[in-house]
Amino acid sequence: MASPEVHHLFHNPIADHSFSADRKTLAVARDTTVELYAKVGSAFKLKDELKGHDKTVTSVDIAPNSGRIVSCSQDRNALVWEPSPTGYKPTLVLLRINRAATFVRWSPSETKFAVGSGDRLIAICYFEEENDWWVSKHLKKPIRSTITTVAWHPNSVLLAAGSTDAHARVFSSFIKGVDARPEPGVWGERLPFGTVCGEYLNNSAGWVHSVAFSPSGDALAYAAHDSSITVVYPNGPDQPPKAIVSINTQLLPFMSLIWNGEAEIIAAGYDCEAFRFKGGVDGWQLSGTLEAKGRPGLGDSREESALNMFRQMDLRGKAKDDTQLKTVHQNTITTLRPYESSGASVKKFSSTGVDGRVVIWNT
Amino acid sequence: MVRLTAASSQSLRPYLQAVRSSLTAALCLSNFASQTAERHNVPEVEARTSPEVLLTPLTIARNENERVLIEPSINSIRISIKIKQADEIEHILVHKFTRFLTQRAESFFILRRKPIKGYDISFLITNFHTEEMLKHKLVDFIIQFMEEVDKEISEMKLFLNARARFVAESFLTPFD
Amino acid sequence: MSIIQQHTAASLSDAWRTIDIDALQEDSSVNFDVSTLHPPLPEVSEAEVRQINAQVRQLLRGGDAEGALRGSLEMPVYNGSDLAKEAHLQTVIEVLQSIKASDMTPMLQRIYGTPGGSECLDVLMKYLFKGMASTTSSGGSAPRTPTRMTPQQTGFSQVGSRPGGSSESTGAAMSVLLSWHEKVVEVGGLGSIGRVMTDWRKV
Repeated sequence: MASPEVHHLFHNPIADHSFSADRKTLAVARDTTVELYAKVGSAFKLKDELKGHDKTVTSVDIAPNSGRIVSCSQDRNALVWEPSPTGYKPTLVLLRINRAATFVRWSPSETKFAVGSGDRLIAICYFEEENDWWVSKHLKKPIRSTITTVAWHPNSVLLAAGSTDAHARVFSSFIKGVDARPEPGVWGERLPFGTVCGEYLNNSAGWVHSVAFSPSGDALAYAAHDSSITVVYPNGPDQPPKAIVSINTQLLPFMSLIWNGEAEIIAAGYDCEAFRFKGGVDGWQLSGTLEAKGRPGLGDSREESALNMFRQMDLRGKAKDDTQLKTVHQNTITTLRPYESSGASVKKFSSTGVDGRVVIWNT
Repeated sequence: MVRLTAASSQSLRPYLQAVRSSLTAALCLSNFASQTAERHNVPEVEARTSPEVLLTPLTIARNENERVLIEPSINSIRISIKIKQADEIEHILVHKFTRFLTQRAESFFILRRKPIKGYDISFLITNFHTEEMLKHKLVDFIIQFMEEVDKEISEMKLFLNARARFVAESFLTPFD
Repeated sequence: MSIIQQHTAASLSDAWRTIDIDALQEDSSVNFDVSTLHPPLPEVSEAEVRQINAQVRQLLRGGDAEGALRGSLEMPVYNGSDLAKEAHLQTVIEVLQSIKASDMTPMLQRIYGTPGGSECLDVLMKYLFKGMASTTSSGGSAPRTPTRMTPQQTGFSQVGSRPGGSSESTGAAMSVLLSWHEKVVEVGGLGSIGRVMTDWRKV
């Protein structure tokens, strides 16, 4: 297995990142700006800074086909950045929220995007030709707390959302005139705007940090603060799900997860490394870390005297003194994204975290 | 007294170990904007305006005079330490010592200016601290503080006792 | 009386300043209904707790410490009176104290390996933290803070001013809980501590 490609961009947290379809441009959310990096040789060079927010930018997403960038921030706004020959031109979106915007993602159709917010609602935004505006419709019920994450179903109508009220939910965001009527599926048959197709809560609760539909869209996975991964297999409208598989791990909580085919999930978070889960309807389990153990350069720790070592163990209850973690990321990983896929399976994925690193991994 | 100290240093390790693991588990913080105040980002453990983002507080106790309270929330945690005070002198020394530190709180970044009721000293760690500093080093700092403070207080007490004896002796000598 | 007079009379007292107006607004974040954060919990009565505890004690007397531990952890009292919760905590602590230090890790590993074992360890962790929290507060009746101690003639003496012999016994009880804590973390990982914090089903 080839070793991961590590790019250390800066010493600030990266709230979110997104690659363009050709993987030559990388957008990262850094503090109050969105920075665009271009790939030059094997490194990423700063190309452009998108300044328009005046509070922490929480999320950024590049639409693969149109190249439009959407960003949102704790200043309650979302901006759509339209590529033009003279640079990116921002357009303010009418979100009608008065708390922080926390998360944004383009729908696969690229005609809509969803913005999660601390106003306890999700704004589904679409372009209104006659007014030349991005307008929004709100998904409100039954959300009771800040939306932390959203994910689109491949049909661009269903939307999964995770919230700090410990629930993962699936909504319909069908907008007449924008969306084609979706095929009836396992999540429901008739799906007017705002239908709640599923609502899930773990026994040990915990804020939901990440949600994702499987490539087929017939299963939903979410990661919560109780260090668990839960996979839900729905069983058609108005019926209890076929299976809800929940794995409580021994690890720290996961912040982000992605599917790799229908039988594998990759998740990463506060342990600063990515883990692989395998399974299906009958059960899931943790199959191991993606970190290559014993990489040269990081494994060798300083020689210490035995006396000092035992003194440390006795006094502080710790075995080793180190200022560098053994993982590639040196702080929490906050975002995982597929980087290169073939069909449903992901060949490479990228991760960013609080340590300002972008790492491209082979699965 | 000597026997007692030996016994207590034996049980210090599991105590610190429990604090270490609990702190590591609790220090999973993320950036979270206030749900109550517009365009604000405040430590939720202090604001206490959204019950769902506060987690169950954990108490780790070594005996009834030494304990640590960890109050976690989504973007901040508060750690309060009750330092061992076996008698009145230790009580005074601990009070003076913590007062000295809290008055210089800005130099310690994570020190809270006022301890929580029932505790001697409190720390407030927010997501901005865990973003800037290494998490395990923050944990080390707290652990080191806990182990040094006991030593510091006992040393000060010994010194004080020695000085008191010296003063007493020098005053009492003429009357011999 | 004019409106102005009324107004000043009302504002003369400062009481209105301390009103938490957020709490009065129904959809304010302060009024989040935390009961939505856990599944519905069946209520456990004191009689039931007594019954479980008697069974657990019987297993313990019969030498089946592992069965006793499992039994006490599979039936946590989430929804019950304080007395019932306290009684169950005492039983769990009793079981924990009766197990030898060398048996802890293998026993935990066996429990963790069985279905539902991870949940058991999480429950055990909850009781460990509750045990540590409750012993410190229940000792509150005794004068343990030096502030309330009568000043001694020889303020510098160390012996005699130790806060009573109770400190020694709680210290011993705590050290049992602390060593269990360490062992549970070894087997159940930091995730088990995390779940104590996130879980709204409280023991």
